[in-house]
Amino acid sequence: MRRLATRAPRALAAVVLLVGLSLARPALADPRVEARRHFKTGMGLIAEGRYDDGIGELLEAYSIKPHPNVLFNVAKAHEAAGRPKDALDYYRRYLDANPPDAVTVRATIERLEAALPKPEPTPEPVPDKPVVVTPQVDEATMARLAALTERLERAVERAEAREEASPAPSAEKAPAPAEAPTDFDVPYEETVVAASRRSQSTLEAPNSITVISGEELRASGLFSLPEILRRVPGAEVMAMGLTNHNVSIRGFNQRISNKVLVLIDGRPEYQDFLGLTLWPSIPIALEEIERVEVIRGPGSAMYGSNAMLGVVNIITRAPGAGATAEASGLVGNANLGGASVVASGGEKLKYRASAGYLQGDKYSRDYASGRPDVRSTLGDENLGVRSARASVTAFYAFNKDFSVAASGGVNRLFTELYAIGLLRNYWLDGVTGFAKADFTGGPVKLRFFWNHATLDAGPQYEPIGQRSLVTSLDTNVFDAEGLFQKEFRLLGTHQFALGVSSRIKRVDWGYIGKLVQEVHFAAFVQDEWRIVRPLTLVASYRLDRHPLLDNGNPGYAHSPRVSLVYRPFEGHAFRGAFATAFRQPTFLESYMDIRTPVPGVNGASVLTEGNRTLKPERLVSFELGYRGEAARVGLSWDVAAYWNIVSDLIVLSAVSPVPAANALDPTSGSYLLGRSTFVNDPQTYTARGVELGLTWNVLSGLDLRASGALQQVVPNTSVAVCGPCTQAPAFKMNAGFVYRTPVKLDLSADVSLVTGTTWVEREPSAQDPTQIINLENPLAAYTVINARLGYRFLGDRVSVAVVGSQLGPSHQEHPFGNLVSRRVFAQLTVTP
Amino acid sequence: MMRLALASLGLVCALSACEPPPAFATADKRQHTLNGRIEGDVVVASAARGDVVLFLYDAARPPPPEGTGRPLTFTVVPEAVAFANAGEGEVGPHVAPYAFSLVPPGNYLIKGFVDVGHDFVPWYGVTADTNSGDIGGAAVDPVTRAVRVVQVGTTADGTPVPALGVTVSFSDAARVPVDRPVFQERSGAAVATMRSAPLTLTLDAAPIDEKGVFQPLPVFLARLVDADGDGVPDDSNGDGTPDFWPRVVVRKLADDASSPLLDENDLDRNGVLDDQGVDYEHVNPVTGDTIPKDGKPDLVVLAAGFNFASLVPQLVDGTGRPNPNPLPVTRLELQVLPRALDVSNPAQPGVLKALPFGRYAVTVIQSTGQTWRVPNELSPGLGEAVGLPSLAAQSFVIEVPRP
Repeated sequence: MRRLATRAPRALAAVVLLVGLSLARPALADPRVEARRHFKTGMGLIAEGRYDDGIGELLEAYSIKPHPNVLFNVAKAHEAAGRPKDALDYYRRYLDANPPDAVTVRATIERLEAALPKPEPTPEPVPDKPVVVTPQVDEATMARLAALTERLERAVERAEAREEASPAPSAEKAPAPAEAPTDFDVPYEETVVAASRRSQSTLEAPNSITVISGEELRASGLFSLPEILRRVPGAEVMAMGLTNHNVSIRGFNQRISNKVLVLIDGRPEYQDFLGLTLWPSIPIALEEIERVEVIRGPGSAMYGSNAMLGVVNIITRAPGAGATAEASGLVGNANLGGASVVASGGEKLKYRASAGYLQGDKYSRDYASGRPDVRSTLGDENLGVRSARASVTAFYAFNKDFSVAASGGVNRLFTELYAIGLLRNYWLDGVTGFAKADFTGGPVKLRFFWNHATLDAGPQYEPIGQRSLVTSLDTNVFDAEGLFQKEFRLLGTHQFALGVSSRIKRVDWGYIGKLVQEVHFAAFVQDEWRIVRPLTLVASYRLDRHPLLDNGNPGYAHSPRVSLVYRPFEGHAFRGAFATAFRQPTFLESYMDIRTPVPGVNGASVLTEGNRTLKPERLVSFELGYRGEAARVGLSWDVAAYWNIVSDLIVLSAVSPVPAANALDPTSGSYLLGRSTFVNDPQTYTARGVELGLTWNVLSGLDLRASGALQQVVPNTSVAVCGPCTQAPAFKMNAGFVYRTPVKLDLSADVSLVTGTTWVEREPSAQDPTQIINLENPLAAYTVINARLGYRFLGDRVSVAVVGSQLGPSHQEHPFGNLVSRRVFAQLTVTP
Repeated sequence: MMRLALASLGLVCALSACEPPPAFATADKRQHTLNGRIEGDVVVASAARGDVVLFLYDAARPPPPEGTGRPLTFTVVPEAVAFANAGEGEVGPHVAPYAFSLVPPGNYLIKGFVDVGHDFVPWYGVTADTNSGDIGGAAVDPVTRAVRVVQVGTTADGTPVPALGVTVSFSDAARVPVDRPVFQERSGAAVATMRSAPLTLTLDAAPIDEKGVFQPLPVFLARLVDADGDGVPDDSNGDGTPDFWPRVVVRKLADDASSPLLDENDLDRNGVLDDQGVDYEHVNPVTGDTIPKDGKPDLVVLAAGFNFASLVPQLVDGTGRPNPNPLPVTRLELQVLPRALDVSNPAQPGVLKALPFGRYAVTVIQSTGQTWRVPNELSPGLGEAVGLPSLAAQSFVIEVPRP
C-alpha cells in the first residue's frame, strides 16, 4: 500500500505537470519568478515529508528555468523518500554541472551505490520489498502516462541543453571560479553584476538595485528603453521628445540629465562632450537585452565619475544564446516604423549580430511651418528619430578560465536633443559607434573600448536672419581597464576586487573652440567580507584622477563606500550603506565657448564660457534598505530610504557684463550683452525619500508590479527660488501587469503617475530681450499609460501585437518639452 | 483570435498614414509670438570703414533729434561683410545684406551709422552714440531722400508680412561732424538743489579721452530753428522763446539707490513708460484746480531750457535770419524752473501739483541727434567694473529735497 500511496500522487503530479507543459509552457510572465515560486513550494512540501509533490514542483521549476541546484534537491528528496536509484540519477546529473561541492556529492554517490543491493541473476521478488500492485488505471492510461513522462524527460533535457549552451557574453558576465558557489547557493535568486562588478544575488548587493528582465522588456512592447525605466522606484524619466529622454534617480533631473551612468555590458554610453546619454544611439536591439540592472543611488565607488545618482547597466544576451534568429518589425501612427534582425549562434566561437532601423515623427513641433519669422533648419521638420544600426559580438573560450570577447556597433543616427540655457530643441545627425574587447584570464580581466561620435548639430528652429548655431562634433574616447578578483578566507570569506583604468577623451567641437584632450586615471578596490553567514561587510574605495579637478590642475576625487548586508533568513536582506559619489565637469562645462544670439536682437549675443576650475558635483548618501520575498506566493518587495546630501552642483551663472573694451566680439560680429559661465552652486541640498517596489507572481503567467517613491529636496539654507527642490516631483508611482494567457493571448499594461513640479529656466525677458532672467514654469502632474495586446501562433514562433504608448492624456514632461501624445503601433515578431 | 490579431495589425497600419506633428508652443515665451522681419541691404558710399550698426525705431517714437525714442533693437553688419572685397579708399557703393529678426507688425524707422572709430558699445549710455567721423545713414525714400517708414504689415488672418528689400543708405554726406555734447556742471558740485526758485547751471563741454570713451572735442552746436525756412526763428510751443538747439531734458530718476541711473517709471530700461509706476497729482494750469491721480505712471520732467540770449547775435546773419550753420560753443547756461511736467503725452503735457522730490538727470540733445546725459556710467562706483573711466563730475544730479 505504501508503494501505491507513493506512486499515485507522483503519477498525478506528473500528469498535472505535463498537461500544464503541453498547454502553455512559454506562457510565463517572468520565468525566474515563476521558477522560484515552484522551487520554494517544492522545498516546503519536501520539508513536510510530501516528497513526490515537492519533487513535482522542483521539476516544474527546472523545466521553466534549469538550475543545477534543483537537481541536487530533487536527488536529496528522492534519497529521503527512500529511492536511492532515483537519487543517484539526479546526483549524477548535478555533478555534470561541475558544482563546487562535487567532492561531497561524489562521496554521497559512492555511499548510495554501495548501499544498493546487487542485481540478482533471477528476478525473484525480494521479500522485504513492497508488493507490486497493479495501478487502478487501465493499460491505455498507463501508456499515456508513460508517454507523458517521456516528454517530461525530453523537456528537462532540452532545458539542460539550453543552459549548457549559454556562455557568458562578456568578461563581467562570465562567472569566475570564485563566483561559482554563488550560483549554487539558492536557485532562482535574482543576480546582478552592476553592484560589485561580479555576479551576485540582489540580496547580497550593497546598493538598492532594480532588475528589469529581458522578458519584461519584450512583454511591454515598447521600443524605447527609458520608457521602461519608469518602472524603477525613484527613477525620473522625462521625455522631452520621442527619443530624447532625461533619466535621473532620486531627484535632480534636468535638461541634459548628467548624473546617471548608463553602461552596456560595462561600457559607458555617457557622452562626455555634453554629459548625457544619447539613448537612441545605443546600437543594440531590445531583443538583445538579457536584463537591465538599475542601481538606485551612488555608484562612484565602482564606476567613478557620473555614477552619482545611479547606474543603469544593460546586460546583453550571451553570444550564441537564445533564438538562432529573430526578426521583428513595427509600424504605427506618426510615421513610426522599424525593423530589427538578431542572429545568434556558433559552436566554439559564438556570435550575436543584429541590425535594425527605426524612425518616427516627433510628438510636436515648437513652431508651425511657413512662418515669416522662424525657419526650420531641417529638410524634414517632422522627423523625431531615424536610426540605422548594426552590431556584432563574438565570444571564444579557450578553456574554463581563459576567454576573449569582441564587439562593435555603429549607428547612423538622427535624433532630437533639448539643450541647456537659452538653447532649445536641437537635432543631432551623424554616426556613433563603438568597439570593445574583453579578455578573461583566471582572476584577471582586461577590457578595452573605443566610443566614437561624428555629429552635426543645431537648433531645429532659428529666427530668420539670425546668426546660425549649427555646429559639428567629433569625439573619441579610448579606455583600458584591468580588474583582478579573488576569493579568499581570512576570518570569514572575502570577495576581493582590485581595478585600474585609464581613459583618453578627445573632443573636437565648434562649441568648445578647438580640439581638447583629457587623460584620466582611476583605481578602485573592494572587499566583500562575509564575517559570519548572515552578515557581509562591503568596503569600497575609488580614486579618480581628473586633469582639472584641482582648480584647473590635475586633481583627485575620492569615492568611498561602506555597506553592511544582513541576511537573517533566506530571501530577506537588510542593508545599510554610506557612500559618496561625484560627477566631473563635462567638456561643455569646462571648455564651452559659444555666443548665443539674443532673440530678436541680431546685433547682440550672450557669451557662455566653460570654467576649468570647477569642482566636481558631490553626493554623500546614507541609505537603509530591505529586500524580501514570500517566494511560495510569488511576492517580493524592495524598500529603501535614503538621505542624500548634494553639493557643488554645476549650474550656469547669471549673465554678467563684459568689459566695454571687449564688448564687440569679432568671432560673432556682434556685441556681447554679457557673459555667463558654469559655476558651482554654493547651495547644498538635502534629498530624502522612501521607495517601494513590489512584484507578485499571482499565478502562472500573471505578474503584477507596483512601485512608488516619495521624495523631498530642500536647500540647506533658505533661498528665494530653489530649482532642484521644485523640479523634483514629490511622488511618483508605477503599476502594471503582464499576463500571458494559456490561450496564446498576451496582455500587459502599466501606468505611471508623476506629481506636478515647477521648473526654473532661463529666458530672455519678454519686455526687454536684452535681459536674461530666470522664470518659474509650473508643470502639471501627468500620467503615462502603456499597453500591449499580443497573440502568439505557429508554435509561438510568430507573434503579432498592438502596442499603445503614452495612452494617457497628452502632456508635457518638461515645460519646454514636446506635447507627448499617443503612439499606437503594430508589432510582428518571427522566431524561425 | 488570429484573425483579430491580423485585423488589429491592419488597423494600425492604416493609422500609420497620419497627420504631421502638431505645432505646440511650449513654455518658451518666444513660441507664443508670431512676428515678421525686415530684410534688405546696406549700401555704403564712403571710403570710411567700420562695422555698420543699424537701429530699429518705433515710427511713433523717433530718435533724437526728432524725438527721444530709443531703439527697439539693433543689428550689426560686420566690416568684413559690409566691405568684403573692397579696396582701400574705394568709395563704393558697398552692398551687404542685413536683417532684423522677430519684428512684430508695426511701423518702423531704420537709422544707423558706420562705426568708423570702432568705439560704439550699445550697453552704456556713454558709448552708445555716434562720434565725430562716423557715417550716418537711414532707410530713406529713394525719391525724396526723407527717412521712410518701414511697415511690417499683416495679412487678413493676422499673419505678419515681412518687409523685404529695405535698403539702408550711408554716405559721406551724412558724416557726423563733431563729438557728442559731453558736458559737466561748471561748479563741480555733485548735486544742485532745486527748491522753489529757478535754478541756473552752467554746462561746460568736457573732453573725455580714456578707457574706451573717446570724445576729445565735444562742443554744443548752437543754432536757432527755422524749420519752415521763413527766415524767422520758430517758436513751436508759443512761449515767446525761439526754438533752440541744443535741447535739454531734465527727467526724474527712479528712487532706487541700487540703480542710480534708472529713469522713474522705466524700470525695464526699454524707453517706454512701464505699465505700472509712480503717479502724481496734476493741476489745471489755468484754474489751479487739483486733478486727481489717474493711476497711470507719469513721465516727470522739470521745465528747463538754455539761456542763449548772449549767443543770439552769433546765431543770426546780418538780416536777422537764423544762421543755418550751427555755432560750436563750449559753454551753455541752463535754467531750470520749479515746475514739474508730466510729458507721458508729449502733445499735451500735464502740470504737476508739486515738485516730486528726488533726483533728476540732465540730457543735452544735439541737432545731429547726438546726446549726452548726466549722471551716467562714468559716475564713480558704476563703470569701473566694466572698464569705464570714473569721473566724479559725471555723477551730477539735480535734487528736489523732501519737503
